[in-house]
Amino acid sequence: MAVASTATTTTTTASARLIAAEERGGARLTAASLVAPATVLVAIGLLIPLVILFRYSLNEFVAQRKLMVEAVTIANYVKFFTDPYYVNILVRTLRVSVTVTAICLVLGFPLAYVLARTQSRFKNLLIMLVVLPLFVGNAVRAAGWMTLFGSKGAINATLMGLGVISTPIEIMYTETAVIIGIAAVNLPFMVLSLQSVIEGISRDVEEAAFSLGANPLAMFRRVLWPLALPGVLAGTILTFILGMNAYATPVLLGGPKFQMMGPLVYGQFAGVNNWPFGAAISFILMTATLLLTVAANLIVQRRYKR
Amino acid sequence: MTAAASLDSRRLGRWALNGAAGLALALILLPLIFVTWLAFFRQEIPSFPPEGYSLRWFAAIANEKKFVDGFSLSLRLGVIATLIGLALGVPAALCVARFRFRGREALNSLLLLPLVVPGVVLGTSMYVFHVETENALDVDVLGTFWALAAGHVIIVIPWVVRLVTASLAGFDRTIEEAAQNLGANPLTTFFRVTLPMIRPGIVAAGLFGFVTSFGNLEMSLFLVGPGRTTLPIAILQYLEWRIDPTIAAVSVLQILLIGGAMLITDRFVKISRVV
Repeated sequence: MAVASTATTTTTTASARLIAAEERGGARLTAASLVAPATVLVAIGLLIPLVILFRYSLNEFVAQRKLMVEAVTIANYVKFFTDPYYVNILVRTLRVSVTVTAICLVLGFPLAYVLARTQSRFKNLLIMLVVLPLFVGNAVRAAGWMTLFGSKGAINATLMGLGVISTPIEIMYTETAVIIGIAAVNLPFMVLSLQSVIEGISRDVEEAAFSLGANPLAMFRRVLWPLALPGVLAGTILTFILGMNAYATPVLLGGPKFQMMGPLVYGQFAGVNNWPFGAAISFILMTATLLLTVAANLIVQRRYKR
Repeated sequence: MTAAASLDSRRLGRWALNGAAGLALALILLPLIFVTWLAFFRQEIPSFPPEGYSLRWFAAIANEKKFVDGFSLSLRLGVIATLIGLALGVPAALCVARFRFRGREALNSLLLLPLVVPGVVLGTSMYVFHVETENALDVDVLGTFWALAAGHVIIVIPWVVRLVTASLAGFDRTIEEAAQNLGANPLTTFFRVTLPMIRPGIVAAGLFGFVTSFGNLEMSLFLVGPGRTTLPIAILQYLEWRIDPTIAAVSVLQILLIGGAMLITDRFVKISRVV
């Protein structure tokens, strides 16, 4: 009897296992059929193109005939890093991105904090006002800055009307104009990254710091900042990446002489048809962005994870 | 420190905080406010203060073929890319959120990759890919509508995956099991139970996907064929040449369209919760 019951149990578990295995097999099939179309599209439409682009960057370019010749050479990369003209463009792109990121952090944190803590019934509307420009497009926002920055624009007209200056100051086509423009473009990303994290920080810890005698600055430095660090990191990285890859803003507010990496890539492809060099610049841009992102991650982790 | 002094420092801190927050909001909104203002100027030159106001620039847009064509192309691209992006992205999100399998993280990263790769690099890599495909298959690829649309689908997918995965995170699976116990097959369960419950996520994904496609500039710049421009490209090319109330009026229409889309979406799902 005991033996028989054990035997039945074994068969039941065995058949249960079989059913489970069948179900797992079915689940695997379902999972695969669900995810495959999107994956295949992204793999074919993006991964393969990236590989081809990298292959192109190792090709040669014959300037006289405007022709790409198949080769395996790092000449394009060498050309970029040995010519001061291109190195300067990379340095300028880095400088602009770092400045923009700093501005976004300094201005974005207060706005994110106010949005996270407000009890106002207009909160949703305020957040929409922050999000809307994000979607309107960089060219449209650059148009707004052009109206402000021009020699007869709003800023110069106001300053001259007030008698502060007698001749218009030049703002358009300067690095300052580009930095303001990109900072305005990237601010919403920083604000949204920070806001979601700050909302997760309990107000009680702030009050605790205050009741223990901390002034606002000490509270910020010792309590709020360390707790908000994940959001700070996410926002900083996003802002930096977007700064490095800015296109419309430098083209429109910096003018044709103000070169950054994004417009440089476009110029190599559309202007002079030098695909191998354009491909190499694309990869330099992507690598520089990725390296600095990883470095920022490591530094912050090393400093604060202990 | 006395209580009064500490209160004072807190008040000062609050002022500094609100001041900086106001400045940030101004920096975000100023360009939109001024471009809107310019659209109503009577004179053509963007000089301040305006000589008067007029609505004629809005009427003038209808005669600018580039903007009308650009708008129509961007609209078609946005709608098609969003629909295909949803059709591919929602199942993918279901898979990533529901099943545990090896390489799941890698798969998720791959689907989100188009968000991380810079727009210019997306454009250049797809451009060379189209050239290679054209050479290999001997068919027109580069500059065709569907090649451009494929690129747009690829940048819509990560938004769909991200937002739908997020809305599936708080999903109670026992409800689906209940439906199946009551005799619903998987397909019925999906359409009658799962889909209605993740609808907010899908609506948000649709909106974000659409505006991403509609506003895309860098990638499209490499993929449009001769004589074909999207609205953002038309705006950029016009602005490289000049700034005047006509382009400002075009900008205002774009702001209204996007703002309207956001307000409608906000009725289904609170924007502040999904961004």
